[in-house]
Amino acid sequence: MLLAHAITLTKARSYVAALADRASTAEASSAYEHALIELDWIHGDDVPALDTLGLTSDRDILILDAITTILQLADFGVDALAIELVLAALYDAHDLDAA
Amino acid sequence: MYGENGQLLRAELSSMLKQHRIQLRIGGPGTHAVPVTTTVEERTQIGEQVRRYRQSALIWCLQATITVGPVAESRLSPRASNPFRLPAAQHGGLAALRKALDQTVRTSTAPLPDLAELTTQHELPLVEQWRQVARAAALGEHDFDAGLGYGRLDDGQLHTLIGDIAATVRALVVLDARYATIPGWERLDHVDRLGWAALACALDASLDPPDYSIDMRGWRPKTKVISGPARPGLLGVLQAEHNLTIRMRSFPSAMNLRLVADSQRLLTGGLATRVQKVDPALSEVWRARERTYVDLQRELRNVGGNVGVGELAVAEGANAWNRLKVLPPGAQFDPRIVHSFTKLFANLDARIADVVEEGMQRRAYFLRVKVPGIVTNNGQVVARVQERFIPPVEADHTAIVGLVRDRLRPFPEPSTAPPGAARSRAELHAAIVHQPERRAGGKDGFGI
Repeated sequence: MLLAHAITLTKARSYVAALADRASTAEASSAYEHALIELDWIHGDDVPALDTLGLTSDRDILILDAITTILQLADFGVDALAIELVLAALYDAHDLDAA
Repeated sequence: MYGENGQLLRAELSSMLKQHRIQLRIGGPGTHAVPVTTTVEERTQIGEQVRRYRQSALIWCLQATITVGPVAESRLSPRASNPFRLPAAQHGGLAALRKALDQTVRTSTAPLPDLAELTTQHELPLVEQWRQVARAAALGEHDFDAGLGYGRLDDGQLHTLIGDIAATVRALVVLDARYATIPGWERLDHVDRLGWAALACALDASLDPPDYSIDMRGWRPKTKVISGPARPGLLGVLQAEHNLTIRMRSFPSAMNLRLVADSQRLLTGGLATRVQKVDPALSEVWRARERTYVDLQRELRNVGGNVGVGELAVAEGANAWNRLKVLPPGAQFDPRIVHSFTKLFANLDARIADVVEEGMQRRAYFLRVKVPGIVTNNGQVVARVQERFIPPVEADHTAIVGLVRDRLRPFPEPSTAPPGAARSRAELHAAIVHQPERRAGGKDGFGI
């Protein structure tokens, strides 16, 4: 894993984890956790540590950041379909959170 | 379970100790009022069969003394300061009892009963009672390897077991004298020494109050997965949670553990909401469990490890949550089902705590740590990131360990004795010194 890939992945994981921590309901939080697990799974669970300290508490900003960084993973050779599936899980979680 | 086998053994021995005039009970002579129904040869055969059953009980006693021998310490000797070390001096009474039992078993000419004898009901009630004794002794052998073995009993339980062995031996000694009139009966070798050694052990064990919680230990049948379609209502959730507890016996990978933790968080929260009006105290306990799992889930995000399985556990966890989710919010729940979750939750929490600690000890789980100061862009075209996983011990990351030990692992409850444990033993001791009642109106005649 290249440094830039690792940094992007760390950011993506951190944003999704922050969303799980700040979700309005337990079910939405769980859905974000599932999206995070899926993100880890497509990397074979060989991923760097995340850190949610200092991230904004605004969920709208966090979801945009998460989507952007996850899309950037395609630049490092991550399968496009896998990325779409993670994003689908993230959208579902966001819908639950917004409901 | 030791309690069941021990109780059966004592109950049958108590019943037999209350029976006198043994010849009459096997169809022999004794009184003019009862006709003789068996020949001498038949009574000899009955005696031989009883001795085979007795041999089984004697071997149980011998095995029990061998099992507790290395760790037992006489209550007459000063207490050892270090409970992790073997006692300095052996238990004199127990050693004498083991030696006497060994001598008795070796010199006896009776073989052990075969499987057909153990499992086939006998028409004579007396022989049938001996069969039950032999059966309990044979089943009781499982208990020594499954819960009563080396170093698994505390001091009180150890001496309770010694007291039980002594009582059984004394009962066999009393019965031996009573059966001496059966044709071809073979007395126990060195029966006096056996009786005195058993008495010494019984008196030594009785110096401190007994701990009958030993009855809850021993072999138990393995719990199995409840298969088949989902049970209706909350019972289906209980079914899935029970299955999850069993599926968690296999070691899960880190990712699957995260999914199990997620299912428990959702399930506990959902249950707490549903029982809030009916049982606020229980709801509060489950809210605390939910918070524990939220924190555990957060800690597990940075734990990795591909060793392990756990897919079936994940599926059962998802089943539990999905079945609870579709229950109507205002549904009335059976309190017995609701409280069954408490026991399952305690078992599952203990298992997950074991899994986390074991995974870290044997390095199946690793913490994702970004090692600081090593990664530098030194002008190379491709800069490789030097991420690595390190064992939790090395990482000095005690947050998850503290969480597991302090909040997740349930408090150990003091083991309680089953009802009737003391009574069963008291009855045997009373039966050992039992005398037949005098006949009504008679001066010196004894009934049977």
